[in-house]
Amino acid sequence: MSLPILSLITLTPLVGAAVLVAVPSRRPDLIRRTALAFALLAWVMSLLLLAAYAFGPTGFRYVEAADWIPTFGIQYKVGVDGLSILMVVLTTTLSWISILASFGPIKDRVKGYMISFLVLEVGMIGVFIALDLFLFYIFWEIVLVPMYLIIGIWGGANRIYATMKFVLYTLVGSLLMLVAILATAYAYQGGHGGSWVGAFDFQALQGYAAAGHFADDLQILAFLALFLAFAIKVPMFPFHTWLPDAHTEAPTAGSVILAGVLLKLGAYGLIRFAVPLYPYAAHTFAWPIIVLSVIAIVYGAIVSIVQPDLKRLVAYSSVSHMGFVTLGIFVFNATAFQGAVLQMINHGLITGGLFLLVGVIYERTHDRTISKMGGVAAVMPVYATIFGFFILASAGLPGLSGFVGEFLVFVGSFGVAPAIAFASIIVMVLAATYLLWMFQRVAFGPLSDFLAGLGSHLTDINRTELFTLLPLAVLIVVLGLFPSLVLDLLRAPAQAFLTAAAAARG
Amino acid sequence: MTWSDVGTISPVVIAVLVAAAILVVDMAVPGRRTPIIATALGGLGVVGAVVLIQAGHTGTAFGGAYSLDNLTVFLDALFVAIAALTILFAVDYLEPRGLPIAEFAAVLVFAVTGAMLVAGSTDLVLLFVSLELMVLPGYMLAGFARNDPYSTEGAIKYFLLGSFSSAILLFGLAYVWGMTGTTRVDGVATALATAVAHGSIQPGLAMGLAFMTAGVAFKMAAVPFHYWTPDAYQGSPTPVTAYLSVGPKVGAFAIALRLFVGALGPLKADWLPVIIVLAAATMTLGNLVAITQDNVKRMLAYSSIAHTGYILVGLAAYAGGQQTGLSAILFYGAAYTFMNMGAFAVVTALQRRPGVSSQIATFAGLGRRDPWLGALMTLFLLSLTGIPPLAGFWAKAYVILAAIQAGGWLSALAVLAMVNAAAAAFYYLRVVVYMYMREPVGEAAPSSPGRLFRAGLGVTGVVTLIFGLFPALVTAATNAAAVFHG
Repeated sequence: MSLPILSLITLTPLVGAAVLVAVPSRRPDLIRRTALAFALLAWVMSLLLLAAYAFGPTGFRYVEAADWIPTFGIQYKVGVDGLSILMVVLTTTLSWISILASFGPIKDRVKGYMISFLVLEVGMIGVFIALDLFLFYIFWEIVLVPMYLIIGIWGGANRIYATMKFVLYTLVGSLLMLVAILATAYAYQGGHGGSWVGAFDFQALQGYAAAGHFADDLQILAFLALFLAFAIKVPMFPFHTWLPDAHTEAPTAGSVILAGVLLKLGAYGLIRFAVPLYPYAAHTFAWPIIVLSVIAIVYGAIVSIVQPDLKRLVAYSSVSHMGFVTLGIFVFNATAFQGAVLQMINHGLITGGLFLLVGVIYERTHDRTISKMGGVAAVMPVYATIFGFFILASAGLPGLSGFVGEFLVFVGSFGVAPAIAFASIIVMVLAATYLLWMFQRVAFGPLSDFLAGLGSHLTDINRTELFTLLPLAVLIVVLGLFPSLVLDLLRAPAQAFLTAAAAARG
Repeated sequence: MTWSDVGTISPVVIAVLVAAAILVVDMAVPGRRTPIIATALGGLGVVGAVVLIQAGHTGTAFGGAYSLDNLTVFLDALFVAIAALTILFAVDYLEPRGLPIAEFAAVLVFAVTGAMLVAGSTDLVLLFVSLELMVLPGYMLAGFARNDPYSTEGAIKYFLLGSFSSAILLFGLAYVWGMTGTTRVDGVATALATAVAHGSIQPGLAMGLAFMTAGVAFKMAAVPFHYWTPDAYQGSPTPVTAYLSVGPKVGAFAIALRLFVGALGPLKADWLPVIIVLAAATMTLGNLVAITQDNVKRMLAYSSIAHTGYILVGLAAYAGGQQTGLSAILFYGAAYTFMNMGAFAVVTALQRRPGVSSQIATFAGLGRRDPWLGALMTLFLLSLTGIPPLAGFWAKAYVILAAIQAGGWLSALAVLAMVNAAAAAFYYLRVVVYMYMREPVGEAAPSSPGRLFRAGLGVTGVVTLIFGLFPALVTAATNAAAVFHG
């Protein structure tokens, strides 16, 4: 038996959380460092796994399977392909960065905070590696609880409203998804002489779906349920209203993870489960979803322009950026697919970075109102430079990774519907508008009275904060110059995705 | 009566002896709590051991009026656990209020004896008698804090409506007896099967069915027969509420299994629509009203109504042709028992000092004041919500799966159940909000429960987790127990 590397990666943060339970609360520094150590350990392991995967064959590898509830054929089955391994690395990367970024800002109940974060990491990794639908659902729900606590306990003034909204939106979607998963498994069981073996196994189900065995009406209903769950998480217009509240109220690191990984869970669910299992329904609803995606892209950008709050602006820009992801998925071609996944990663890196940067200024001013800012560049030159870098990356400057993802989605969707590609290009201009205008108001001009009143509190970025941002900046440049590092890994998943999606036409 | 009859019902016999022994010990050494608790817990331990010894055996007693099968064993074990946990939780609450522990324990064990008899009853008359044996001590327990007007009020409401519903049930049973000429469950089933095979059922039988449904719905607190529940639950001493929310409820579902599945099985096509409507109304109304509650006991009372609705989905799935519905009911009953008793236990711990209310504000800042108590309450509430990997999640999943297998209207019922579960998250998590996201108001009441109490709380917490992580352990038992008639 080979080393269960995926289980080890998933368990590492859980072990960390268990260790933290034993560490006394009066030693916050020890708690912080222990949490960081376990997150870094998981990160290193995931990097090794990425390297090992990249130099090997494609398809699902490192698969581990064990019976869990044999009566219903529910398994503990995990495995990764090129898509999931990238998502796992994104998760582990942003997790340790978020934990490091919380060292300064989180001073109250550090132990509970770090335990929540590590449990959250377990759930997120689990979602990306689960190859059993039931297991996937369980990890999906596990993610919910720590995030609920992180926003609700360590969040801003309106945190309770925001966290309840987040939970209720997500739960409505996910519980209906459970019904759909059970109905799908039952249909599979019915087609196999009443045997539950493999009824929740993703690969078995997908083979069954590819052969066109799932009835059309089941596909429609189940797809709608899964789509609702994932669309809320992405979030797609018009299911996005929880996002600005959650982002605004969450602590900085919470926002980073929320934008960086949690939104990707929804997009990943669409790619991995919703489309391949219900290809007929996916094609039936492709056009409405494309239209919703374009609305999200345009609407998110327009609304961003008028946001008075830095975090809210970044949150709405997320709606716009994630619109490219859903657009790229549902035009069903390889270029757009690769662009969509690259965009998922870029958004995680860039928006994660932007939230970190907003957090840096918030730490010093305890305010995020754009109109109170101004002239930051004069007193915090290093900060302003890095901020500018991330702004340009988010606006899609060629040479940085944000450009490549969106460009691939344009190219891919152009062949399907030129009008939509054009509409999306206009948004590039809008994005430049809201981002650069915001940057101008914050960084340039004379120092605002509000900032001047803070005097010496307004120090430049410190070393810890720099450590959280530099890895992201490096990755943005590397992926901007060598996108093939990621795209090569995505070639096989793109092919698998398109084959699965094409089953409907056959 | 033969010796083999006594052997078959030996858990019930021993339980009666335990209840009597508690009273004797109280007379022998008055005012000492340790011997009483030791007698009660030790006696229940013996009962539990005998129940487990019976596992796998089958047999009948008293000419078929009582039957020992896997269902009896499963439910008996559950009732013994309920009684033991209630005693563990009650001591900390009763002592500071000067309420007698011996009477409490004795009455409780009598009640559980009745519940165990219900579990094994396969005769309409025995079923009714043992039901009364189960609920009469329950009325006494509800009014146990006799100087507290709320306790008295709750007890009187519980008693009046409970007696009323018993009478209705008896009326229905009489009709069935009149139309089929037998009181044996299997006899009734045979007669009904013949009647169904020969065409329509007579109006008298329909009357009987209607009255029986109403009677059982009262007992399990299904909408619209739920009005007694909030007052009885809120007024009762909190450990009693913990018992009432699970003991008589599981007992009522035991009646439903023996009566509807066992005796009325041939008519299931006729009672299926009724159960669907009851389930839909019960979970929806229970949840909607629970959202507006500011008192945690009352909120948990409405939530227990909602859970009745979910369990009824399992019964409906059975009527829709899915045997798995029955094992789902049993799984739900067991999971609900432990997570709900745990939640009430935390309320009990907070109310250890007399005068502390069960308003939600009492929970403010609990996560800081007592991290373990807060964490456990969170665990129970998440389980009640149905978050994996906890007991309550699998309970819902199994019920929903059975409903989906049955198909048709039941698929819609499954969707409704899940929408309800999402709505329920609001009021369960509201308590978590108070515990972790608000600061305590007024003086922080240190709870520090006693050793027995912590043991009970630990058991409920561990069981909630184990059910969640290894549900296959439990389904082995529930699947076996679900095959009990024929």
